Amino acid sequence: MEEHLLVRKIDMGTVIDHIPPWRASDVLKLLDLEGLRRSDISLVILHNVPSKKYGRKDIIKLYRHFISNEEADLVCLVFPTSTINYIKDWRVEKYKPKIPERIIGRIKCPEVTCITNNPRENIRTRFRVLSKYRIVQCEYCDTIVELERIADLVGKKSE
Amino acid sequence: MEKVGSTSPGWYDGFRGRDVISARDFSREDYEALFRYADLYEEDPGFYRGLLKDCIAALVFVEPSTRTFHSFETAARILGCGVTAIRDPSMSSIAKGESLHDTIKMIESYGASIIILRHPARGAALYAAEISRVPVINAGDGSREHPTQAMLDLYTIARKRGGIDGLRIAFLGDLRFSRTVSSLSYALSSFKDIEIFYIAPPILQIRREVKIYLDDRGVEYKEIIDMDKAREILRSVDVLYVTRLQKERFPDPSEYEKLKGAYTVGPEILSIMRSDAGIMHPLPRVDELSPELDSKPNAWYFDQARWGLNVRVALLSLILR
Repeated sequence: MEEHLLVRKIDMGTVIDHIPPWRASDVLKLLDLEGLRRSDISLVILHNVPSKKYGRKDIIKLYRHFISNEEADLVCLVFPTSTINYIKDWRVEKYKPKIPERIIGRIKCPEVTCITNNPRENIRTRFRVLSKYRIVQCEYCDTIVELERIADLVGKKSE
Repeated sequence: MEKVGSTSPGWYDGFRGRDVISARDFSREDYEALFRYADLYEEDPGFYRGLLKDCIAALVFVEPSTRTFHSFETAARILGCGVTAIRDPSMSSIAKGESLHDTIKMIESYGASIIILRHPARGAALYAAEISRVPVINAGDGSREHPTQAMLDLYTIARKRGGIDGLRIAFLGDLRFSRTVSSLSYALSSFKDIEIFYIAPPILQIRREVKIYLDDRGVEYKEIIDMDKAREILRSVDVLYVTRLQKERFPDPSEYEKLKGAYTVGPEILSIMRSDAGIMHPLPRVDELSPELDSKPNAWYFDQARWGLNVRVALLSLILR
């Protein structure tokens, strides 16, 4: 595999594999980047490497960092081809993602008149997941957001 | 219909202590019970007088209103409630930048039994309900919902037509930004064999979230853009529900001027409709509904506004007694 020529295996951490090509940066947006920046982890992104299954793919390797199950579920919801592997002492544990019912406090509502966007109020956003339609819906204002757009709306993380 | 009051074995409990945030939160059984209690307001007005004399209704209207404010205020007074009101935000601490959170907390601490909120932000009512320990009624939250309008709309249709099932209804005008259209669409989905026609230009068509909800509930609906086709449909509907075209929504004012005429309902439209069909409007109207219709038996909109009082008297009672 070409990826092996580019970066070695890790003994500890998280590998997010089978990300659609050139979308790794969007996956990163779905993770708690502030948390990542504060820690001493190393992060490698592989763009557009060959994939038997999908032709091309991106890979993210987070050395000595385990993303939360909540983050893993969100990544797999938005990019359903993605697979999450937790590596502990070279052993690979494949994570089975669950479709979350709600996304809480992670994404900003794009509707400007939504009460959650009022700077005077301190509101944790709440979106219900309608996976059948590949959308989420703001529980406050009912606005619909395509899953593909979520990465651009990450950042509203109160509390 | 089962009657309530002295002959009733007890009150309907489905609304007791509940918030009224969305028309989606209520069942057919809830709506039909509400209609029975709304009828009672005319059959036995004395039944309601002073019923809630120990309660305080707080009306918080951060946006203009005529009918909703006055009908809630009158309903509360008929029931004997104390009434406290924020009517003009410029005269309250909201103008100083007070948050909705603090406003709700303060009103609650002064002993309000119920908070009736109109607010320009979508989702404000749900947020207020999460903060408040007493029930919150959504009296309109931006362009999202206006559930008590849907209740009085349904009541009007049921009373004029003898029931809701099998209704063919056309909505005309600005459907995208109309909270009354979304709430009534949600409420109608609790009834059987409903057929909805949304007549509007593409930029003002019904919002996707409403369509998804109707799809999930198996409600038949069609979006109509072509006015010739719309005229065909209007020949057979039971109700034509008209809303105001809002000039400010059009990026190009000439587009508004062009459409205005096509979306005005007057005697000519009425002449192609069935003789027993009704015309409804949440009011206020501007140019979209000709005053020539006012004296026709098909003009249901003044009864619709009037019966808002019946429904709100019944609703406050069912929540608070």
